[in-house]
Amino acid sequence: MDSPTPAIQIENLAYAYGRTEAVHDLSLTVQPGRCYGLFGRNGAGKTTTMKCLLNLLRPQRGQVRVFGLDPAKAEVAVKSRLAYVPDQVVFYPWMSVRETLDYLASFRERWNQKTEEELLERFRLDPAQRTDGLSKGQRTQVALIAAICPETDLLVLDEPTSGLDPIVRREFIETVIGAYQEGNPGNRTIFVSTHLITEFEGLIDEFTIIDRGRDVLTLDSDQARERFRKIRARFAQAPPEIDLKAALRVRREGRELEVIANGAGPELLERLRQHNPETLTTEALTLEEIFVAALKT
Amino acid sequence: MIFQINFKSGMPIYLQLADQIKAAAASGALRPGEALPSIRPLAEELRVNRNTIAKAYSELESLGVIETLPGRGCFLKENHSDLRKEVRRKLLIEEIDQAIVQAHHLQVPRPEFLELVQERMDALDEKRRANVIHKED
Repeated sequence: MDSPTPAIQIENLAYAYGRTEAVHDLSLTVQPGRCYGLFGRNGAGKTTTMKCLLNLLRPQRGQVRVFGLDPAKAEVAVKSRLAYVPDQVVFYPWMSVRETLDYLASFRERWNQKTEEELLERFRLDPAQRTDGLSKGQRTQVALIAAICPETDLLVLDEPTSGLDPIVRREFIETVIGAYQEGNPGNRTIFVSTHLITEFEGLIDEFTIIDRGRDVLTLDSDQARERFRKIRARFAQAPPEIDLKAALRVRREGRELEVIANGAGPELLERLRQHNPETLTTEALTLEEIFVAALKT
Repeated sequence: MIFQINFKSGMPIYLQLADQIKAAAASGALRPGEALPSIRPLAEELRVNRNTIAKAYSELESLGVIETLPGRGCFLKENHSDLRKEVRRKLLIEEIDQAIVQAHHLQVPRPEFLELVQERMDALDEKRRANVIHKED
């Protein structure tokens, strides 16, 4: 059986602005139907990566494929199969919400009018309002409507919720889950870059952490949840040298040790136990805590 | 039905959901023949990927806990007495595992641990008997 063409395939991508390397040797694969997160700090290389997918930048090394197509060679074909919400949403300021949506719809083969109506109502947007009178949250909402109505196979979101208040952020994610994932879920792929991981925790199936242009960790979310543990031990006296090489990170404070494990939890627990700690506790980590732990290494 | 997803539990979300549905069935919060929430509204409410909900339901279906009626939704299956037993066993196993880990940590060896279990069960039986006699007075 043939494996399906990935929605996104990035191989050894590199891009530098002048002498500053924004992305270096980045590789990741997004299978169709998955919700994939690209997690990174500000300036880690997320937006540069996004721009290569959209042919706003050409890869300097490596390659990028969207549904098997090269965005540089088949730009129109690629763009017709995806919808994009950028981090800075810009509209023609004199256009109303209605005019903006009509304008954007004119580029699309397909446009679900019913979804448009539902979402305009859900977000309580006034179609007659000029876009320069909209708040940031409202502009993002219009951009999201314009991205969902064409019912493309791929939805690309670049830092979609930064600068938005918590209520708007949650509504955004509910809308992505509700309205975008409608229809054939196997054909609805989401690729989102963000540093606000907590909100997206439930949405993301799989993620890559990018730092300073490099991919640091790629994992399935459930596997990450099962593998990562924070182990704390306190000893009666300053702990002796314990072999904790299997740990991702170790922090020592007086008589206490804090160990972050990526998969080697049970082994590390056993090693610590052998030195008779006063207390020994284990806790699981949220994706955001895993993100922080992976980057502090 | 109200679900609670714990992102700090170290457990895959779909399994948490499946467990909560099984617990609801065992406790009677969900009755045989009753419908499970539809995937889309539940996913939106929990802010969880639809695939995850689908995976939880799929898991329950393969365990014979629920059945899917095309176009109608997912329903708790009628006869799941096995489920009740399985759920109860599982819950007890979790408690037993915790006690075993504690015993190890407190350096109580296996024979002594098992002896203690017998002792405690005897003590409880004694107490129950005493209560019955007391009630009969």
